[in-house]
Amino acid sequence: MGERLSTNHSGDFMALLRARGLWREPEAVPAGQVRAPMQEAHGTTVIALKYRDGVLNVGDRRATAANAIMYDRAEKILPLDDYTLIAIAGSYARAMEIVRYLQHSFKYYARTQLQEMSLEGKLAEVSRALAGNLSMALQGIGMFIPVVSAYDLERGEGRIFFYDGMGARFESVEFGAAGSGSERIRGVFDYILKTKGPVHEMTLEEALRECLLLLDIAADLDSATAGIEKVLPIARAVTAEGILEITEEQLAEIKKSLKL
Amino acid sequence: MVYTPYDFNESVRHRTEYIEERLRDGSPVAGISFDGGVLLLTLRRTQRKIFEIYDRLMFAGLGNQSDLEIIRVGAIDFAHQEGYARSPDDVTIQRVVGFAISPGIKRAFGDVLNAPFVVRALFAEMGRTPEEDLFYTLSYDGEFVSLGWAAAVAGTPEAEEQMVRQLVPEDADGVPDLQTALRRALRAWAVGRLWAIDAHLEEEGAESLNDERIEAFLREQLQDLQVEAAILDRFTKRERKFRLLKEEEIRPTLPLR
Repeated sequence: MGERLSTNHSGDFMALLRARGLWREPEAVPAGQVRAPMQEAHGTTVIALKYRDGVLNVGDRRATAANAIMYDRAEKILPLDDYTLIAIAGSYARAMEIVRYLQHSFKYYARTQLQEMSLEGKLAEVSRALAGNLSMALQGIGMFIPVVSAYDLERGEGRIFFYDGMGARFESVEFGAAGSGSERIRGVFDYILKTKGPVHEMTLEEALRECLLLLDIAADLDSATAGIEKVLPIARAVTAEGILEITEEQLAEIKKSLKL
Repeated sequence: MVYTPYDFNESVRHRTEYIEERLRDGSPVAGISFDGGVLLLTLRRTQRKIFEIYDRLMFAGLGNQSDLEIIRVGAIDFAHQEGYARSPDDVTIQRVVGFAISPGIKRAFGDVLNAPFVVRALFAEMGRTPEEDLFYTLSYDGEFVSLGWAAAVAGTPEAEEQMVRQLVPEDADGVPDLQTALRRALRAWAVGRLWAIDAHLEEEGAESLNDERIEAFLREQLQDLQVEAAILDRFTKRERKFRLLKEEEIRPTLPLR
């Protein structure tokens, strides 16, 4: 077994999957054969907002396929590891596949190399996974946009990164959002910053209030976003102590206090 | 020259002798279930010995370091590839040890033209309850044994037997907590080590190993060695259930002068 096992000592999970023939590279269809894009399930609006202890992520729970509402319990905010959250908008199928890949990739690195992958390394791994998705995205299917929130243990602060479909990465100062409803509410973020001050000084409760209001507005302006009325959104935060799960009770309490 | 079945037997016997001689002096590893998870404990000089394999799997062993490293990486590769291709629930101790690791070790042992693995390894899997926890001990010839509640690997099979008696005492009541598990594991380590290196113990019997003698031996060993202990935490909400215990968590259980 020696020779088969000693090939991959860099902690690179993709290299392991390729060597074992388990990495599925999406296939490009020749340009002439591309028909109208198929109707795939899409996740809609996700928001990342800095607050006092780290970064809060909130997402509505709707998944759509064209005009149809496919599902109203979709989980679009997922932990990649104890200090990293990913919020996804766009093609649900590809996003879930890549999230599963990233979760394993980070753990694989840490376990084989006996040290955590650096934040830079994790962000580059997300880029790489998105770039591998490109041939599909160009055909109009399988495209998704992630927002990555991380707690930077070295700097002692939460950080937000957003990506484009090709894997380019940008760091955001106060907030990030993705999905069909996110464009409609961009101005609201700026309004909050200009009237209430920087969000990274807010308490969890204050940040949650803003996020629920933003989702509610997004749902008013975008038919694909479910908002907060029927099903409560999903909320997780990343802090120095790891991932914080926000309970339904907490969300219900805050929703009740909003004047909608 | 013709290679006969007799030669094969003879070569296997030589290999066994060679390996067992080299294992005898290794630092034992004790594994035990407790209410909040699973514990592995050993004493070491500088190099780390207990490793995380997957979400609910960890591993430690004694013997040749590079052989242990091959097993470690092989188990991690298999676990992650399966966890990704199927689901984390499909990564079980019996698949990792029984199908991914053991056959290769068996093959290496039977191949007289190649060096065998010089190892005794202990895998631990955490279940939802202590009743579901599982230990597998894996030997240099690829043979493995599955056990519940506690298991050990040491320099000789007799030493391992003595260790398990320490880990699951007859007068034990219920599932131990972490402190009790640590104390038992430390005691078991001392008994396993003494049993493997002190030929007189076989005649004197286990009764001669009283508390005083064990504590004195541990105190002496702790001058050169340090305790390494790791747990898989049953109740943590963190993604990573594995964690090495900190010095301040171990210190209260040590016999200090």
